[in-house]
Amino acid sequence: MIIPVRCFTCGALIGDKWEEFKKRIAQGEPPSKVLDELGIKRYCCRRMLLSHIDLIYDVLNFTRPS
Amino acid sequence: MEVSILEYSDKYLKALVRNVPLPLINALRRTIIAEVPTMAIDEVLFIDNTSALYDEIIAHRLGLIPLKTDLDRYKMPEEVGCKDITQCREVAVRLILDVEAKDDIRVVYSGDLKSEDPEITPVSDKIPIVILSKGQKIALEAYARLGRGREHIKWSPVSVSVFKYLPKIEVNLELCTYCGECVKACPRKIFSIEGDNIKIGNIINCILCRACEEACPTKAITVSWESDSFVFYIESTGALPSKRIIVEAFKILKNKLLQLQKKVMEATK
Repeated sequence: MIIPVRCFTCGALIGDKWEEFKKRIAQGEPPSKVLDELGIKRYCCRRMLLSHIDLIYDVLNFTRPS
Repeated sequence: MEVSILEYSDKYLKALVRNVPLPLINALRRTIIAEVPTMAIDEVLFIDNTSALYDEIIAHRLGLIPLKTDLDRYKMPEEVGCKDITQCREVAVRLILDVEAKDDIRVVYSGDLKSEDPEITPVSDKIPIVILSKGQKIALEAYARLGRGREHIKWSPVSVSVFKYLPKIEVNLELCTYCGECVKACPRKIFSIEGDNIKIGNIINCILCRACEEACPTKAITVSWESDSFVFYIESTGALPSKRIIVEAFKILKNKLLQLQKKVMEATK
């Protein structure tokens, strides 16, 4: 759905790194290098970004009644 | 007892601690995770939410945002007998979020949260909270308070608090043939062989996997560890500086021991 705020396993903050990660991957940089440079060392945190799909953009237009 | 710092910044602390009993260092580790208080959002009052995410999901995400914490000015709710944190000023900080996506898709970031206390703010301004499409809006009041990790992990000041034994690698030079199998087997690249000389690099990198022991054809290598020396590592979520976390943990541990002492003294009077 939307990028989780923290890593499911260790609890480190990863939400704030998602947009930079996404942008740089789109520009063709290798994910491993981007993750290293963002300071994401453990594989639990790395998979949070690597395996994430931003599904929220698909459900975005379904507004709930206020 | 001997301590040497291997890595240190506000976020990380890695230290080599020698001649210290295991229960003591484990007590420190557990106190850091479960007892050192930090600030986190605990109550959220929704005024308006037409986004695609449910109120509960957004409240949960807000709770997980690490907040820079000031331990000196705020008190735990049970200390002052506060039942409803939305009513107690000395206990809770109010943060307000009011965003409307007027003409385009709008990502709502932690930076959009307006805190009534300029020192209690999110650690990072770039954490996405929710994404709004055109015309959607969100308005809420969030209340942050001090809490402890044993109640909910969002109040834990660390993402990592671990220690391991200091590894010890012994090579029996009478059996070693300098074949280089251990160099190939070691995942942490600790060994190196130059001619008739086997070298062991930075022992702290060893993860005690014993791949070298298994790979050695002459069984010349023994991997063990020092039973009273530890490599201690903590990683802060950003709520408190790493040094402050250790200081607070010792304060809490000391208080608990003093209380225990007092109770024992009273009971045996």
